Amino acid sequence: MRPFLLVNLLLNCNKAQNPMHYALLVTGSPYQTKACHSALKFLKAALLNKENTLEGVFFYEDAVLIGNALTQPPRDEFDVRKAWVELTNEHKIPLYLCIAASVRRGIINETESQRYELPQHSLSEGFQLEGLGTFVELMNSTTKIIQFR
Amino acid sequence: MTNTLIHLSSSPYSSLACKEGLDLALVLATFEQPVDLCFSGAALSLLYNHQQTTKEDGKHLYKLLDGLEFYDIDNIYIERDNELTKEVDIWPGTKALDQKDWYALFSQYQHVFRF
Repeated sequence: MRPFLLVNLLLNCNKAQNPMHYALLVTGSPYQTKACHSALKFLKAALLNKENTLEGVFFYEDAVLIGNALTQPPRDEFDVRKAWVELTNEHKIPLYLCIAASVRRGIINETESQRYELPQHSLSEGFQLEGLGTFVELMNSTTKIIQFR
Repeated sequence: MTNTLIHLSSSPYSSLACKEGLDLALVLATFEQPVDLCFSGAALSLLYNHQQTTKEDGKHLYKLLDGLEFYDIDNIYIERDNELTKEVDIWPGTKALDQKDWYALFSQYQHVFRF
């Protein structure tokens, strides 16, 4: 389903006042696709209904690149990573990056940096590295998981 | 507990999508969550027998196929009469569905994830 249709669907759902417990799975690269952007728009729409709850967002495959603190987009372009960080700071929605997918792509937190004896780490604030088991927990604690790819 | 379909449609040799989709299937099975697989499009090439891959082609994912039963992943679906599998020798563990059942397949699960 196209993202804008999903957002419309969600807004209609809001009108009917049916609270949902969502989690999002984002798998599309922030550079090759608009998956991270569409998921962000969806989340903002979902939050318009205060009864909806967002249990978390799980980034997998190339979508984990969103958590790279070292990216420096041109100043006149939309900074999608920063937008996610602002959203999670405001609404306290956990943003999980798959640890295996992240480490292989160079998204490293302090713990992994020490484990691999690296001189630096690259994980952005607002994101945390978690295993796929966390995603399984999200699947079992929500009414709907929506994938953006 | 939820039932999940992992739909693999990406080539196993052009990106990590197939591998990471299979990784998710194995983790779900490890957590005793019912999970089925289905293959379409470029991902069907993973099922071809007699593959001769090199190190540069990535992990030899087709070797995982025989191990799926140890994770209780027994339902691996493909669409019958698909041009990509018609006259090719493929891994024997798949269940071929006719078009109607193939279309119906995607409505039978609580979660469908595509890689």
